Parts: sequence; C-alpha cells; structure tokens
Amino acid sequence: MLREPPDATDLLATARDVLLNELLPALPAEKAFAARMVANAMAIAAREAAQDDAWQGAALAHMGGDVRTFAAAIRAGAHDPGTPRHTEVATLLDDVTRARCAVSAPKVIAR
Amino acid sequence: MDEARLTAWLRATTGDASLAIERASLLSGGAIQQNWAIDVSGGRSWVLRTDNAATLAVSHGRAQEFCLLRAAFAAGVTVPEPLFLCEDGAVIGAPFFVMARVAGTAAAHRVVRSDTLGGGREACVRALGRELARIHSITPPRADLAFLGPPPDDPCRAFIADQRAALDRQRHPRPVLEWGLRHLERTAPPPVAPVLVHNDFRTGNIMLDEAGVTAVLDWEFALWSDPHADLGWLCAKCWRFGNDANEAGGIGPRAALYEGYGAVDDARVRWWELAAHIRWASIAVDQAERHISGVERSLELALTGHMVPGLEWEILRIVEARDAA
Repeated sequence: MLREPPDATDLLATARDVLLNELLPALPAEKAFAARMVANAMAIAAREAAQDDAWQGAALAHMGGDVRTFAAAIRAGAHDPGTPRHTEVATLLDDVTRARCAVSAPKVIAR
Repeated sequence: MDEARLTAWLRATTGDASLAIERASLLSGGAIQQNWAIDVSGGRSWVLRTDNAATLAVSHGRAQEFCLLRAAFAAGVTVPEPLFLCEDGAVIGAPFFVMARVAGTAAAHRVVRSDTLGGGREACVRALGRELARIHSITPPRADLAFLGPPPDDPCRAFIADQRAALDRQRHPRPVLEWGLRHLERTAPPPVAPVLVHNDFRTGNIMLDEAGVTAVLDWEFALWSDPHADLGWLCAKCWRFGNDANEAGGIGPRAALYEGYGAVDDARVRWWELAAHIRWASIAVDQAERHISGVERSLELALTGHMVPGLEWEILRIVEARDAA
C-alpha cells in the first residue's frame, strides 16, 4: 500500500486497451498476430499480478511439502482409485489446476 | 540462403545445366523448420525444407523426413512428391530437401471455420480416414525406415514410458500429467501390432483445397506405434481449434472419419485422446523451456507454456469421466 497507484493490473489492462483499440487497427495485417500475442501476454501477466497467491503455499502443504515426491507417488499408483487418499488428491489436483487456469487459461474453467 | 550455391547444386543434381531460380521466398514456417517456395525455370514450383537454428531433439532430421515422405508417397498417401535430398550442410548452411509445391491451405483456424474446404466437412474427414489407412499400411520391418528403430512390443506402454522419460528430463514435476499417465497405465489396452504412425496428423498439418486433401505435411515425429494413436491425436479436443462439436479435428463428424478409415476400435481411440492431451502438454512445456532457458527467446514459445494449465484441466476432466464410467 506504499506503492504508487495505479497498480500493475490497472497499467497492464489500460495499456492492453491502447494496443488492441488504437494500435492494432493501424498495424499492417502481417503484424496483427504479434500484436495479439502481446495483448495475450499482458492479460496473463495482469491476472497473475491480481491473483492472491496464498493457494500455492496451501497446495504445497497438502502435497506433503515436496511436489516431486507427490508426483512420484501418483506415478507409483499410491493415489489410484480405491486408495484412501484418492478423492482428496483428485480434489487437490482440481483446485491447483483451477488456480493455474485462472491465470493462464480462464476461458477453460469458465465453460 | 546462398542462391548461387543452391543453383549450382540443383544443376548438378537434376542434370539441367541451365536451371535457374527465378524466385525464392520464405513461407510461413513452423517453429522447427524453414520452408522456402522456390520457382525454378521451366515452370517448376518447388518447396525447399530445411532446419531452423534451434531444433527440437525429438524430431527427425531432414534426411529421415525425406525417407518418410518417399515411403508415404509410394504407399499412396497424398503428400508432395519428394524430389531431391541434400545432406551436405555446406550448400545452404543446413541439410535440406526439395519437394513439389502443392496448393491449398492448412491454417487451422480457417480450416475449422470452413464448410467447404476439403470438399465439405463429411467428405473431408472421410478422406482423412483414407489417408490414415494408407499411412498405416506401412509396416515394419523396413530397411529404408531403419532410423525409426525397432518397433515396440506394446505401443501403449512404450508411449507411457516415453512420456515419463520426457517428464523426468523437465525442470519441474507435473503431478497432473503423472495423474493422466497413471490412468493410461491402469487402463492400457492389450498390445497391438505396430504400424507407421504419422504422430502429428492434425488440423494445421493437413493441406486442403475446395476439392479435397492436397497434402499431409510435417512427418518429422513419425514412429512405429498403435494406428489408433493417429486417430486419437486428430480427434483430441485440444486439436479441434475451438470447433468442439466436430470431433474429427474440428473439421467433421467422428463417424465419417471412422468410415473413411475402415475398422476402428473406438475405445482405443479414446485412450489415445487422453494420451494426446498429455503429450501436447509435455511438448508445450518443452517449447516454453526453449524460451525460458534462452535457447530461443520467443513470445510465441513463452505463451505456449501458458497452454499447459488448460490442457491439465482437460486431462483431469477426461480421467474423472473415464474413472466414473
């Protein structure tokens, strides 16, 4: 709160509007793809800046503190259907992926 | 590109001492290759295909791709006729081959929006089924395709092992991809006799005009595997380019694809559709890593990495549905 507003989210959103509404129409057609990629990158960065990242610590704790060990346990079948933690792990993976999609691919989870 | 050296090489190779390059222009190439349109005296329209500076280790080199193209052409697959191979890196800076230039469009977002390209949606996917059947008529052993290595005893389990090895090479563990792979392992269908699998047979790599298929492109990932792998890759939701209702590549109905192909084990195709999402996610991780590591700084590669969470979401939904069934 000691930082000067407007914040990263606001700046990125405002700059993105300028890019899409003022610059893109003036660009030659072969540069439209690059401009859209820039707009996409700015949108991802803005969502990341706006996201409360407390979920990462909570998810890591749920995974037992080490993602590599957790991933290896899944590979070994330790969380297969019928095992005690299967439902809990499935829910954890859903929650983590939903939070990741909220930054990278919000349309996917909006469906 | 040194046109004088290329001209000299083409003259020597074709025996046409007066051959001249009238025009050479870079086509919109992929991340891995460069494709040049070459207009040559005598009304010859060719494509020269060579490597970009940074090349994915998993893809075949130009010499191998040339052999694959020759095998496919001989099997009646609709591919540009392969003409000449140059393995001497000194001519234009990297090995290359020359093939006939074929008309049409492969641009995925255009293809899935068109009701007429490829002869119309149903006719197009039926034709794609026929193309796949021809590709899969190529079976091991083949001396000309020895670089593909020995065929796997069990293509499904070989896929799982390859994907796990790929994950083990990456910087970060991927619990969701492991979740999907473990499901594949639990539900793997029995072994099947391997055939030549194109391994990137999807909308975007298939050139079409209004009459039909004009070329099956991008053979650099081909391998001996389960033929249903190609059907699953084409049908996977992640390769429908937003046109989800048309399950065969966003182009047309799945049933017409299957009809064009012949005998299809639908359950095997579904297994490979989950496999497709996992493989594409892993490729996307590798592509982003090329940017992150500095091998090839690129906004397109950077954004490809951000496709991974969406693919993971789809993997979780598929596994959930399959486990509930």
